[in-house]
Amino acid sequence: MGTKHELLNKIVITISNLENSGKIKNLIKEALSQKIPIIEIIEEGLRKGLDSVGKKYENNEYFLSELLYAATLMNDALEILEPLLKTEKIKSKGAIVLGTVKGDIHDIGKNIFKMYAQVSGFEVYDLGVDVDPEKFIEKIKETKAQILGLSALLTTTILEMKTVIEKLKKEGIRDKVKVLLGGNAVTKEFAKEIGADAAALNAIEGIEICKKWVEEK
Amino acid sequence: MTPRERIKNVINFKKPDMLPWIESFYDETLMKWAKEGFPIDEVILIEWEVSRSGTLLVNWPTVKGFDPYSYFGCQSFFGCMVPVDIGPIPRFKLRILKENEKYIEILTETGAIAKRFKKAEYTWYSMPMFIDFPVKDRKSWEEYKKRLNPKDPRRYPKDWEKDTYIEIFERYQNGCTLLRITGFYGFGAELMGIPTFNVMFYKDPEFMHDMIEYWEYFTIETIRDAVETLKDRIDMVYWWEDLAEKHGPCISPKIYKEFFLPHYKKVTDFLRKNKIDKIMMDSDGNINPLLDLINEAGINGLWPLEVNSNMDAITIKKKYGNKFFLIGNLDKRELAKGGDAMKKEIDSKVPILKELGGYIPSVDHLVHVEFSFQKFKEYAEYLKKHLIY
Repeated sequence: MGTKHELLNKIVITISNLENSGKIKNLIKEALSQKIPIIEIIEEGLRKGLDSVGKKYENNEYFLSELLYAATLMNDALEILEPLLKTEKIKSKGAIVLGTVKGDIHDIGKNIFKMYAQVSGFEVYDLGVDVDPEKFIEKIKETKAQILGLSALLTTTILEMKTVIEKLKKEGIRDKVKVLLGGNAVTKEFAKEIGADAAALNAIEGIEICKKWVEEK
Repeated sequence: MTPRERIKNVINFKKPDMLPWIESFYDETLMKWAKEGFPIDEVILIEWEVSRSGTLLVNWPTVKGFDPYSYFGCQSFFGCMVPVDIGPIPRFKLRILKENEKYIEILTETGAIAKRFKKAEYTWYSMPMFIDFPVKDRKSWEEYKKRLNPKDPRRYPKDWEKDTYIEIFERYQNGCTLLRITGFYGFGAELMGIPTFNVMFYKDPEFMHDMIEYWEYFTIETIRDAVETLKDRIDMVYWWEDLAEKHGPCISPKIYKEFFLPHYKKVTDFLRKNKIDKIMMDSDGNINPLLDLINEAGINGLWPLEVNSNMDAITIKKKYGNKFFLIGNLDKRELAKGGDAMKKEIDSKVPILKELGGYIPSVDHLVHVEFSFQKFKEYAEYLKKHLIY
């Protein structure tokens, strides 16, 4: 048994080094037995661990396997913690409406982004695949989400992203949401061309962009 | 020189009389081009064969596909292939599981469930969304293995008569003769889906070792007869993998080294023992971080080298020299624009790579539907000028 700081640091390292699920669960239980506030376990332990995984991914030390496994470790830990959150409330970093545009039914990249956005503290409203532009508008109005994430794999469907942006303008809510594009066919130049706020070339970059946006607000 | 001799020269790092040129087309691209003036009647391949049902003893003209390659003057990767069936036997029966006005859900022949648009213009080019996979855990893998018996006589054609096939492979000159196999990442991702397969290296490494070891055994034993019969009449092994995304490989070098490398080596050693030493990997995405290991595995050819995934043939050539022959790397996005963008893409790469050797020009993936017929013709005409020494 170590100090609170040491224990939280162990959680960071366990996630960062991708150790097994049993180890992370034990550390979470130990932290709970030491009465470390759940919010602190999540913010100072789990999320810092995940941030470290993200950095390793960006530095080509980790790849897709590692990214996916870290997210499953995080989910295993949250499964223990979330039911215990009675009085404490995790402050949401912000809300993201997410979906693959109309005509496109690809979702692997979108789902990885969703998983990381959730474990990073965002509320995610995932509308699924082949989403009509109107559905995005409705959900943004309903949830007051600050971020809209649009995904498309194909060069044949990325133009739908432009349709959604036009619709946001028409509804007078373009300045209320930041639009983030993702997917294989998307480039930063394309995002600029169609009036999106940014394009992410991978899930980790996408999360970093979203974090920056909510911090700026 | 024949097209085959040209390809063989290039992949053996010798200078041919002119560069060969290889392409692959999506069928949907050809269908779209048919509406844009592509003379489909000139490229349709019809052969007489015994009526398909087999209940009529009569030869009947049957559409076997399209040959756009001769029309444009390029070669297909898949001209003369070793006829070995490496899929599940028996196949799952392809059938519709669910449908509504918009979507259709089907059980594929490999046992996955795929959802796709019912009436989209390019239904297969746009690739389906996979919603379920046949292998989820050890139990379902054991069950699936029953369909992967290398000794099943149905893996070879009914007319597998060795001397006949030796002659066919000797005679073919339209392109290279090819043995197409599926790699260790490709097969796992196909049976389990990318997320489940990728996570399993951490969740249950022993299971992954077992799966991959079996795939090595299955691959070698399935192709054994063909390889030992045809030997170096097979010009190239085409190893499908698709183990990377735009950012980088789906698996880390560490996983590649631990789980894949020893098994690749076993297969490449077996091929080399049989005088087959041109082994090419097909992987989309950014494979740069794995190149040293890929080469150590015994693979010495790469296609398609996607430019949008940061792959650069000149950089690879300069770093690895003749450790790899390279095919592709002409940016599909620039070529499809035509005009100056297309010319710039070719001018900036083909003359340099032609001099460095061991390079065959090709679009950096299959020719996709955004390429118009006119723009492809323009590209073909311009590229052909660069093929001559």
